[in-house]
Amino acid sequence: MLRRLKEPWTDRRAGLLLGALACSVLAVIVFMLVFIAIKAWPSFANNGLSWFSSKGAVDQQLDAMVNSGANPSPAEYELGAWPLIYATLLTTFFATFFGLIFSLLSAIFIVEFAPERIRRVIVPVVRLLAAVPSVIYGLIGILVLAPFIGDSIITAEQKSSVQFVIPLSGTGLGVAIAVLTVMITPIMIAITVDGLHSIPRAWKEGALALGVNRWRAMWSVTVRAARPAIIAGAVLATARALGEAIMISMVAGSKGFSPNPLDGFIFFFEPVRTMAATVVENTESINAPAMQSSLYAMALVLLIGAFFLSIGSWIAKQPLKKYGTRS
Amino acid sequence: MIDPHESTARPAQTTDEPANGMMPPPIRRITLDSQPTVALPPSQDAVAIANTGDRSLAAAGRPKRGVAGPERMTISDLSVYYGDNQAVKHVSLPIRQGEVLALIGPSGCGKTTLLRTLNRLTEVTGSARREGLITLDGTDIDSLEVTEHRRRVSMVFQQPNPFPMSVFDNVAYALREQGSKRPKKKVLEPYVVDALQRAGLYDEVASNLDHPALRLSGGQQQRLCIARALAARPEVLLMDEPCSALDPKSTNVIEELIVELRKELAIVIVTHNLQQAYRVGDHVAFMYLGDLVEYGPTDDLFDNPKAARTRDYIGGAFG
Repeated sequence: MLRRLKEPWTDRRAGLLLGALACSVLAVIVFMLVFIAIKAWPSFANNGLSWFSSKGAVDQQLDAMVNSGANPSPAEYELGAWPLIYATLLTTFFATFFGLIFSLLSAIFIVEFAPERIRRVIVPVVRLLAAVPSVIYGLIGILVLAPFIGDSIITAEQKSSVQFVIPLSGTGLGVAIAVLTVMITPIMIAITVDGLHSIPRAWKEGALALGVNRWRAMWSVTVRAARPAIIAGAVLATARALGEAIMISMVAGSKGFSPNPLDGFIFFFEPVRTMAATVVENTESINAPAMQSSLYAMALVLLIGAFFLSIGSWIAKQPLKKYGTRS
Repeated sequence: MIDPHESTARPAQTTDEPANGMMPPPIRRITLDSQPTVALPPSQDAVAIANTGDRSLAAAGRPKRGVAGPERMTISDLSVYYGDNQAVKHVSLPIRQGEVLALIGPSGCGKTTLLRTLNRLTEVTGSARREGLITLDGTDIDSLEVTEHRRRVSMVFQQPNPFPMSVFDNVAYALREQGSKRPKKKVLEPYVVDALQRAGLYDEVASNLDHPALRLSGGQQQRLCIARALAARPEVLLMDEPCSALDPKSTNVIEELIVELRKELAIVIVTHNLQQAYRVGDHVAFMYLGDLVEYGPTDDLFDNPKAARTRDYIGGAFG
């Protein structure tokens, strides 16, 4: 047996082993999906499609679950998770949107305009930033940004205008979006820079030789050709934003509240809580069956959301392939 | 300064090793003239003879020489440095309307650098530095806006580099980028078709202008790049070994195209292929290690080279 292992590996052997590994990973994912779906079923079964709607104060519903005991009645499963879904969508969308703009412009600067000395410093720093644990961003958010906004940006007038609806303390949607953007931008920059670098120089030179300036050559040829990489970076960052729990839980105000766009700028000061943050914050009361099922339901929604994100990026890349090098 | 003897001496050491049992290639030694290089002015007689096609050699399958028009670009005392390395040394050359100037010489002799300097592409390379004067219609090219200058002096590269877009979008690229407003496809179409026709590609792509450019053949891609350059209506066309990546048939098509295009443009072509220089060039400049060794009408330079280095290079390459 030992002797057989020492033999040089044939491609067939390597193929079988690696194939088995790949299949096992796939099997784990499928098993996880099925397991979560089964666990989440009571929550969906008792609420129906109204699980996705807004049914009053979601925090009270969750509190009721904690005290519901070992055999909760169907009424105690009641949950309208819309405020949590809404918060997840808002933070993810705005963070990805701002992150995309910042990362694209910074990547263009790094690749095309930055002097060599700056580039040599900035690229490793960006990669380092991409690896910073999110809790550190959360700490800065809650200790620096939130008090600053609570004390200096939000006026007493604004606080009193909504005081009967929701107290404004500084932590809220805006801080969450800002910190989340800072968190996901480095990875988007890193991937976009790699994508722009991989575009043949000949294309850019061809554009320059036709009398196009560097900015336009970059934009109309290099960025255009690098769109698949930019989408890939955005999807990776969106997935990270979608599932971010600890940091959001720290800076978003942690209230199951739906911010109202009609409130004007106060919208961004209003507290929220995303689904991932809700899961993290309720792990203590996980033994209550109703709570457990509800948290599994949120996990399933997040999982399926991430799944659709991948499909969406695949669909978005299809038309770009037509003129690309790969057919 | 690189010693040329050093580079030519290197193959001699390998003669000791039996290379797959084959005889090593003969060593061709290029000797440097001790005299400083002087660019020879073209003799009017030679131009006249070449133009009338009087000579027996010219009749043997060689296209008629172009009629030299006014001087469009002038290079005077041009030197280009990459860091401390001087790639082009004190070169002076005229570029005339209506004729093809062929730059020949061994690899790394500064031909491509010279060509890239003409439309200021060397400026993209950070370490490059230029001395001397280049004028376009009497104006110093440094005083022109660089994008404006590159529109007038366009370039075709060694490797075909069509953009990853459709054939139409490739040709329309320069036109679209020139205006501040994006013109409609209908407006651009006649210009695109005209450029494709001038580049001899229209008949092959007419049925589907929406075809991805990267799926054309190599020769078609290169002609597309020529069409793309022509669409911007340049006055001077620089070609950097445009046929080196192509098969003989595509090469032939592009050479005919060059001969056709020189009627309306001034063309500078860099080539490794001496026969190509002979076929398409009206004037030939031979460069060696950054020096301009000899410049003159094609027939003179090939039949009766004046500098010893030119004689060695041409003789070696031909036989």
